[in-house]
This record gives sequence, C-alpha cells and structure tokens, in this order.
Amino acid sequence: MILLESHNTIIQDVLTDRFERPSRADIQFVDYDNVRFHLSTQEAKTVLLLSMSIQCWPDLAKYGAREHLQEVYGSLLLGEGETEPEYQVSIRIDLEALPEGPEDRAELISKLSHLKSTTMSAPFLAAFSEQSSLQANFKDAAGAQQSDLGGQGGEKKGDLKIIKYREEEAIFIQASHDRVTVIFSTVFKEETDRVYGRVFLQEFVDARRLQSLQSAPQVQYSNREPPLEIRHLPGLKNGEDWGYVTFILSPRHFSNPATAQSAINRIQLFRDYLHYHIKCSKAYMHSRMRHRVAEFLKVLNRAKPEVAVAERKTASGRTFRTR
Amino acid sequence: MLQLERVREEKQLMRQSNTLRPYLNAVRATLTAALTLENFSSQVVERHNKPEIEAAASPEVLLHPLTVSRNESERVLIEPSVNSIRLSIAIKQADEIEKILCKKFTRFMMMRAEGFVILRRKPIAGYDISFLITNFHAESMLKHKLVDFIIQFMEDVDKEISEMKLSLNARARIVAESYLSTFA
Amino acid sequence: MAEYAFRKIDIDALDEDTLLREDLVEPDPRGPDGVLADAKRKSGEVRTAVAQNNIAGALAAILSDPPYGADVDEARALTISALQLILNSTRSSEIAATLKNLTPEQQDHLMSYLYKGMAGLGSKSGAGGEVSGSVLLTWHEKLTEVAGVGCIVRVMTDRRTL
Repeated sequence: MILLESHNTIIQDVLTDRFERPSRADIQFVDYDNVRFHLSTQEAKTVLLLSMSIQCWPDLAKYGAREHLQEVYGSLLLGEGETEPEYQVSIRIDLEALPEGPEDRAELISKLSHLKSTTMSAPFLAAFSEQSSLQANFKDAAGAQQSDLGGQGGEKKGDLKIIKYREEEAIFIQASHDRVTVIFSTVFKEETDRVYGRVFLQEFVDARRLQSLQSAPQVQYSNREPPLEIRHLPGLKNGEDWGYVTFILSPRHFSNPATAQSAINRIQLFRDYLHYHIKCSKAYMHSRMRHRVAEFLKVLNRAKPEVAVAERKTASGRTFRTR
Repeated sequence: MLQLERVREEKQLMRQSNTLRPYLNAVRATLTAALTLENFSSQVVERHNKPEIEAAASPEVLLHPLTVSRNESERVLIEPSVNSIRLSIAIKQADEIEKILCKKFTRFMMMRAEGFVILRRKPIAGYDISFLITNFHAESMLKHKLVDFIIQFMEDVDKEISEMKLSLNARARIVAESYLSTFA
Repeated sequence: MAEYAFRKIDIDALDEDTLLREDLVEPDPRGPDGVLADAKRKSGEVRTAVAQNNIAGALAAILSDPPYGADVDEARALTISALQLILNSTRSSEIAATLKNLTPEQQDHLMSYLYKGMAGLGSKSGAGGEVSGSVLLTWHEKLTEVAGVGCIVRVMTDRRTL
C-alpha cells in the first residue's frame, strides 16, 4: 500500500455491516491528526450517531466547515445544540430511513466515511472559489488597463488561511489570481526523521522533472526558514527540525468538483503520507540491519572451533545429561 | 534515471574495491601481527586480570598503536598490548544520509555486543566502532578466522550502508512519483 | 565531599619506583643537536640521490640511524619529508626490487614511517599529508611481502618513537 486511503476504514466497515444488520454499537476510534470518532446507538438499535472531534475545528469553522458539511450531509447533520458533548460534529443516521438501492447505500457509506476529509476540505474549497473570483477580476483589470498592469495585479491575494491541524504543525492556504498555494509546516522529531524527510522531500521536488508528472503541482521545500508567503506570521518556528513544504496548485487541479475533491483528499493527507513512509523506511532499515548483524554473527561464530562432544557413559552404560 | 544512478554507483563501488584491496590487506597484516596475545595478570591490582589496553596502568605492556588509513575518513587504529588489542574502525561517511545510517548500524550492532564477544560497547573517540580482543578470545577462537571476521565486517559494512542509501533514495522516488501522479 | 578527595589521588605517581614511559627508551646517544645535523646532511644526500634517480641509495641513507625519542621534532620532520620525496618518486614496478636491497633494520624503520604516514593522513594535521593513502598502502603491501609480518611486530614493539 503506497498511497493512504482518504476515507476511514472503520466507519466504512461498521456502517456496511450495520446497514445490513442493525445492532447496538459503542465504538470510539481515531484517525490521523488527532481526530477522534465516536459511533454509538443511543436512542435505539436503528439510530446510529456518528460524532467527530477534530483539533482544528475553530479554524475550520471560521472557513465555513459547518456550512460545507450541511451541504454534503444535509438533514443527517445535527445542529450545534444537538451535537454530542466533547465532539464538534454529529451525524444521525436512521437505519430505517435508508435509501433503497445498493448503489445509493454504498454512496452514503462512502460519503460518511469521508467525514474527516469533507470537514477538512472547507478551507480548500473556499480558497479555490476565491481564486476563481480573483482570476475573473484580474482579467477585467487586464482588459481595462493593459499598460500598467505589471506586478500590482499579481500582488493581489486572497486571505491566508491557517489550519493548525496538529499541536505544532499547520497548513497555510492562500489563493492568488493564477494559483492556490498550500504550505505545510511539519516537525521531524528526531535526527533520523529529519535526514530521511529531507531525502523524501527532495525527491518530491525532483519528481516533477519527469515527463509524465509535468501536470502535477509544483513542490518546493525549505527547512530552517519558512517560505516567503508566511514569513511575516508570528510564532513560526525555524530550526533544523522544521520543514516547510509548498504545493502550488494551478486551476487545472481543481477545475471540476471531482478533481478538486480528489486533490483535496490527497493533499490533506500529505503530512501523514510523508511521515508514514519515513516510518516505513526506518522499519525496513531496521530489518535489514537485523539480517546483516545476524550474518556477521555467523561469520564470527565460524572463528570458534567446533568442539566434538563425546558422549560420556558410566561404567554401567548410562549417560549423563548436561544441564 | 534511477538505473543510471545505480550503474554509476556500482562503477564507483568497483573502482573503490580496487583500492580497497591493499587497504584490507594492510589491515589484515597488521592485525595478524598484533594478535600475539598471552595471559597477563594485572601488575597494579593483585589477582586481577584485565585487558591492559583498556586499563592502561602499566606503560611497559602497551605497544605502539598503528594506524592503517585509506584516506582521511576511512581508517583503522590498532592498539596492541600484551594481553589485548583494541581495533577501532572509522567508516566512510560521505554525506548526511550515510552518517545517520552508519550511526544507526553501529549502534544496532553495539547494542548486541553480548553476542559479538569481541565487540566493544562504545567506540573510542574519533572512530565509529571498536573491537576489543583479549587473550581469552584468542585462545577460544581461531586467530585467522577472527581476522577474517574483521576484514569481512569492514567489507560488508560499506556495502551495506551504500545499499541502504540506494534503497532509501529509490523508495523516496517511488513515493513521490506515486503521490504526484494522483494529481491529474 | 572533601573528605573523599584523597581517594582520587594517584598514589602511583608519587611512588619513586614507578616506571615511566621515558624510562623505557635509552635517549639517542647523538643528542638533539647531533641528530639534527645528521638529519640535515642526510636529507641533502637524499635530494641529490633522487635527482640522480638512485632510489635505493636514497632509501638506505635515510633509513639508517633515523632520529628518535623526544625533542627531535625538527630532525624528524626533515627525515619524513625526505622520505616522502622518495616514496613519491619511486615507480611502483621498482618498489619490490628496492625493498629487497634493504637490511632488515632499514625495512623496520621504513615500515614504522609508513604507519606514521598513514596516521598523519587520518589526523589531517599534515604530518603525512603529502603522500596519498594509496601510495602508502602500495608500499606497505610490497614491504609486507618482502619482510613479512615480523616486520610489523618489530614496529609495534619498538620503544623508540621514530
């Protein structure tokens, strides 16, 4: 498995099962980036309550996450008053009022299992729409006064959206007239991670040179110093352990809703993807070292002369057992 | 691209192994010469028998330390004494990745020093890994095979580190490409 | 903790009978000045010999009665630089033949200088910086073939620091 899945497997499995055979449930589970879920049947066996707690909810709410959820889940989404305590989003699924066709059901399940990524996509979508309005304005400006367009038109930028998706790490999103810039800040907790991380990020930068990947978003990374776009923000850490990755999404990456959604799903998992593969490499190195050290031990043991153990017997022919 | 890189790396390895041979031969000869150990009780503490090279309490039983080096970064220090020798290896570390891999690998080995009877738990300053061979080891193990072990270790450790580095790069490339190829 | 400080005193250092490193070697009978004069003369000889392509003669000259012991640093540096000149100007095909003509004692001294050169390579202090590792290793290999492992043992056990 090279790519991470953007949906939550537990939600998918449990819901698929419960849709067939309703039964009691009280499951708590987690997803990436400190997201907690609670799936329970509180009123009756046929009424499932799915709640999610997400650390960066205040940020997301600011960029219209609740409205977006409302749009996607419609009447399933419970209002703020009814939301389960300690969680920020609650969805009520009445198993007796499910759509009939198997395809409709599968679609509902997939929609529900994408709860986290749907929530996280609100700021991205906001940035995308900002970009298109900026682009339209830019074109107007270009048509009106072509001569003194210069840098000023290009300078116009959308709000810098900050999502603190983990305790110390954040995503920054900014729209401008021809692109949307997404910046991740990530921390490498130990030296090995830092070195491996640099190798991986360098490959992300280099991979775009391939002919087949020309259409992929441009990637830049810097460590120690945050990139220019966010350098003015207070409280940014810089140091050896910090990495800043910049993705530049051009309009073709979000031209239609389907590609936009898949790009969002992909990009919000970038940090988890990177760290997942760093961990995998470490595990692989470890197993390699284990193998190599065992080989060395064999070589060393060849140095020990083989002592022939003669069986010793008593006069009556019985043998000793050495313990 | 990846294949080209690999071919280049292999060529480099081949060229290295041409100069590697005299280096390993020199280590082999020096180590063979140094492995002339005998039982020797401490002159300082009664009824103690300790590796004199570590105790360093009596200058008369310590011999001239010898260095065999191939270049600035790859060298072996052999410190002989009457009943023990200490052999320290500095492993080639061309860049940050090799440095961290080498550190990981030697650490991994030294944590298993119990199994490697002759391995020192901590390298001496300036080197990456140290071995301590006492007369008791030389008595219970065949001397030429001990030397073989050290030589094989030196050969393989370089190979292992460069292979690990290659695999890390290859993995990073695949990871990056398959991630970016999902944006169409 | 002051009352425990006495435990840290190295009583052996106060003992008059303690064997010191310096006691193990007899100082050079020539004295520092004599050694220096000798070394200067010899390095001159080496330069002329190398210029005349007489490698064997140059080696023999520099390897007999080399400076050793403490406070002969200048003479030692002179000798080493002269030896480096020889090592660098010998063709690798001639090494074996040259080595066979040396007396065992000269071979031991050469081996000692080779190790010294390699140690200098590692420490980067420039003690042996002018000869590359591969040249030293080639010489070492050839010398071990000619003189055997015993030569290395004699270098290890020699108390005189060349």
